[in-house]
Amino acid sequence: MTNETEPVIEVEHLTKRYGELLAVNGISFTVRKGEVFAFLGPNGAGKTTTVEIIETIRTPTSGNVRLLGMDVTKKKREIVPRIGVLPQSFSSFDRITVRETLQYYSRLYCRSRTDIDGLIDLVNLKDKTREQYKNLSGGLKQRLGIAIALVNDPEVVFLDEPTTGLDPGARREVWNVLLGLKEKGKTVFLTTHYMEEAELLADAIAIISKGKIIAMGSPRELIEGNAKYLLLTLQSVHERVVEIVRNLGFEPVHDNHKNIKVRVAQTDDVLKILNAIKDAGASFLNLDVRKPNLEEVFLQLTGEALREDLPIRVAK
Amino acid sequence: MNLRIISANLVVKLTSFYRERTTMFFTIAFPIILILVFGTIFMSQDNVSYHLCVQDLDQTTSSAQSINTLELNGQFKITRVDPAIDAAHYVRDTKVNLVLVIPKGYESSLMERMMLDDTNASVTITYIYDPSSSSVPTKIEILNAVLAGINLEMSGTPPFIKSVARSILTRKYRFIEFFIPGIIAMSVMTLSLFSTVDSDTELRQKGVIRKLSTTPITRTDWLLSSILYQFILAVLTTVAMLLASRAVFDVSLHIDAWLPVFILLDVFAFVGIGMILTRFVKEAQSAAAAANSISFPMMFLSGSFFPIELMPGFLQKFAKVLPLYYVNEGLRASMVFVDNVAALKDAAVIGVFAAVVFVLGIIATRWEEGA
Repeated sequence: MTNETEPVIEVEHLTKRYGELLAVNGISFTVRKGEVFAFLGPNGAGKTTTVEIIETIRTPTSGNVRLLGMDVTKKKREIVPRIGVLPQSFSSFDRITVRETLQYYSRLYCRSRTDIDGLIDLVNLKDKTREQYKNLSGGLKQRLGIAIALVNDPEVVFLDEPTTGLDPGARREVWNVLLGLKEKGKTVFLTTHYMEEAELLADAIAIISKGKIIAMGSPRELIEGNAKYLLLTLQSVHERVVEIVRNLGFEPVHDNHKNIKVRVAQTDDVLKILNAIKDAGASFLNLDVRKPNLEEVFLQLTGEALREDLPIRVAK
Repeated sequence: MNLRIISANLVVKLTSFYRERTTMFFTIAFPIILILVFGTIFMSQDNVSYHLCVQDLDQTTSSAQSINTLELNGQFKITRVDPAIDAAHYVRDTKVNLVLVIPKGYESSLMERMMLDDTNASVTITYIYDPSSSSVPTKIEILNAVLAGINLEMSGTPPFIKSVARSILTRKYRFIEFFIPGIIAMSVMTLSLFSTVDSDTELRQKGVIRKLSTTPITRTDWLLSSILYQFILAVLTTVAMLLASRAVFDVSLHIDAWLPVFILLDVFAFVGIGMILTRFVKEAQSAAAAANSISFPMMFLSGSFFPIELMPGFLQKFAKVLPLYYVNEGLRASMVFVDNVAALKDAAVIGVFAAVVFVLGIIATRWEEGA
């Protein structure tokens, strides 16, 4: 019998190779019962390959993967009824309504007592039950996908980039659904390249880059363990400020809006910079001092942006 | 195999079909249109009547009687051409493909032969024709046969070899009645092949198959539900075709248990082929091209539209390795000749083929990706 700390997913030295390409390079991690585990990485990092191996869709080149105590390469038939999956770029039958789609998937699991209405409520699709899939917006489709992933009341839910391609409003709606899952105590394996998504939802995060896990822990552990500095932001600075800061031995990074970011070790450094600017008679409009967020930790660890739409801009 | 999963899949497929009104219309209308078009063409073939232009340069009672003889033959509708005009120009200008010219002196030569027994007396009928027209050889063949008959009659001796035509069928069938089973076989093939390749490629490209691969449905469940779905559609279209051919052309064919058996085997074989093709077709856009590459040779070489005896020898041999040939033959054996033994032999051939293709289809259908 599993308890709260018993591992649900155990991955050991997992490797997946496609010809010459090493997509996943000897990774190991554990996901525990009731945990929301975020697998974070840029496109092509190996997130989906890893999750699809755990979901039994792909076979590993080497390594061991155990899900609910079973070897995923040998026990697909036993594993599948106990997991729920929202694959990347989820899609369903165009002409089938929301309710019919949930009923269909419920029948695939041969379940006679699926609480279809409860699922519809959970993903907030009550007004759309008679709508055909093709008429749903991107956010509604993803919410339906999540409901489908829950149709068999799974012990582990896999959500592969559930909010990719959604506008901020739709993304927030999906997050609310995922927070609901978290409240219900489901074990959730989430892959994402949205840092705020991982920060908001995850109990544990593994950062994967180029097929390797480069950091792992809770959001707080990752930030505190990897970013022992403060980030000073000065807005609308005078032209001379960059030079003043540089003369103090710091390396400021500035953008097109005349803002500069400076990485400092302690609060005394902040005072030192502010005093130097004041003494030089230069000015700035506003300032902000904060600890780095996960996004910046990621940039520091990998040197690459998490998403293609984000510029690489890191204060050194 | 799980019947509950198969029925769930079947319900989704049928509901989608019912809601795709355009697809539904064309699925049923297309074979009916084929029946109407080809039926109209072939109905006239049962009573073929060619247009024949005749220029009578002799303008005598005998030449007029000869033209009447041609008309009474029943295979020609005669148009008389003015003797004053140039027949070659006439063919070119009026786009007719053949003018038969009766020469001047026809009657006098005939009299010499008949009255004076002059065996040297003869006339030469000229065919002035357009070689680009495909019906000219047939017309000339018929005309030569008519002329041979006239020559024989004039010789006054009864023929040594006589012929009589006796059909192997108890009732007289029209060409369209041989044609309908071929169209049923072809329509079921097209329906099964195209909708399998189209829909499976689209579902795979959209990621639906990937989602299904994470559920308890198996490849066998998926394939069996596809076959059941295609079988229902095939029965629907076959009924529509039979009703249309009955209503419009008064076609009456023998219908027994062989009809659903051959439809099912046809579906099995071509859904299986479709599944194998789907493995190699990456995008929905290329699905139709891939299905065409299979269906066109089958359609034209397996005797759906015309008898394979009309084809060159090597193509006839090739036709006999095509699965659709055995569906055509089997359906004709059961619906036209009412020959259970022949139907059983054809069913056995297509049955073995369908079983092999079905197994290969299961193997080819990819749920899990990558090894």
